[in-house]
Amino acid sequence: MNLDWNVVWQHRGALAEGAEVTVLLTLLTMAIAIPGGVLLALMRLSKSRLLSGASAAFVELFRNLPLILVVYWAYYVMPVLSGLEFSAFTTGLIALSLNVSAYNSETFRAGIASIRQGQTEAALSLGMSQFQAMRQIVFPQAASRILPVLASTWVSLFKDTSLVSVIAVGDLAYNAMQVRAQTYRVLEMLTAMAAIYWVMGYPQAKLVDWLHRKYGISE
Amino acid sequence: MTPSGRKGGDTAPVLTYRNVRKLFGQFVALNDVSMQVNRGEVVCLIGPSGSGKSTLLRCTNALTRIDGGEVRFDGEPLPPDEQRMRKIRQRMGMVFQNFELFPHKTVLANVTSGPLTVLRMRPEDARRRAEALLDKVGLADKAAAYPANLSGGQQQRVAIARALAMEPEVMLFDEPTSALDPETIGEVLNVMKKLAEEGMTMIVVTHEMTFARRVAHWVVVFERGGIIEQGPPAQIFDAPQVDRTRDFLGHLGWSG
Repeated sequence: MNLDWNVVWQHRGALAEGAEVTVLLTLLTMAIAIPGGVLLALMRLSKSRLLSGASAAFVELFRNLPLILVVYWAYYVMPVLSGLEFSAFTTGLIALSLNVSAYNSETFRAGIASIRQGQTEAALSLGMSQFQAMRQIVFPQAASRILPVLASTWVSLFKDTSLVSVIAVGDLAYNAMQVRAQTYRVLEMLTAMAAIYWVMGYPQAKLVDWLHRKYGISE
Repeated sequence: MTPSGRKGGDTAPVLTYRNVRKLFGQFVALNDVSMQVNRGEVVCLIGPSGSGKSTLLRCTNALTRIDGGEVRFDGEPLPPDEQRMRKIRQRMGMVFQNFELFPHKTVLANVTSGPLTVLRMRPEDARRRAEALLDKVGLADKAAAYPANLSGGQQQRVAIARALAMEPEVMLFDEPTSALDPETIGEVLNVMKKLAEEGMTMIVVTHEMTFARRVAHWVVVFERGGIIEQGPPAQIFDAPQVDRTRDFLGHLGWSG
């Protein structure tokens, strides 16, 4: 078998651009899905049946659909239903944000729910408002439980962004596949792609491990 | 004993409960409970687990809302809206069975949390007040510690200081020593006794019969969501009028 690793170097520009898009997609998705998750979690925890029902429906829908299906749906169906045309990048971003918001919402809800009711009651018994009790007593404690889970979601998301390549978003996976298709260098390109994802993902995974150790078991 | 002979009986009661009723689904937690708490009085609520003592305490500061009857504080029924109820809660301190200290805050920050957040006190004033209270409960040297590094008895004393920092008119104690190791119960009871001697109005849900006998001015015996007997400790412990009071105390090994 003759291998030509030179092909990887020749297409370094496309790979670097793809890697950039992958990082950008991860960052933007989280930038949307963190406030999105907070909003959904607060809706879910609210006393309004309508808000909590809407949130539950959203979360259960997008948490239980395969992400690749959501990506296709956002690409083919959403424009028809909404009448709006988005770029492939924006479409991919929307699909990822819907999925990750649903996950983050559960993370936030579980984090908040894991703080004993007695903590809120202690705050209320001092005369604090429900809002003050949440902000000063519940959220700071929930945060240290939420952070490690959020970090794990981040690492999954970083890898899952590759799914948007199916709608021709020029991320690392898409660009690498394009080079492969043009050069027929399957083994080299898939290996290079794996190496790049791993090199970028490994430090993130280590960071998550560190967060788990730091915040995982406290109190 | 005539009502006028009861401590604080010459002034208007701080708390009045009239026909209080509380349901949890089908379960009747409180049924037609009527009693009062006078100013400066220590009232101990005793009775078997699940008899409604803690529920009545939680209905006092509306952590639990009643389903019928009336709770009056300082002559006024508890307001139904949370906004006004908050003002009332600021005048009642509460101490919980599981302490419920804020684990992410230091001991000092736990004690200043009420004055800073609720009373908007200046930080140096809040700190001075907190230090004085920590000194009072014998924990001045633990101000910088975190709750996790304290013993149960120390944590509960901090919790008492935290409640006192709001300068409440009434203190509510919900089984304050039930979660403690036997060797640290005494230090908490001593703080409570000191508080009682200073004239603090206190409602104490407790299984510590010796404390109730020695410190309470009035004892209320609960069974199955209702009051079966109430009176001064001398009556309850030495000459109960109701057989079931005698049975309950007998089960605890109380022999007078």
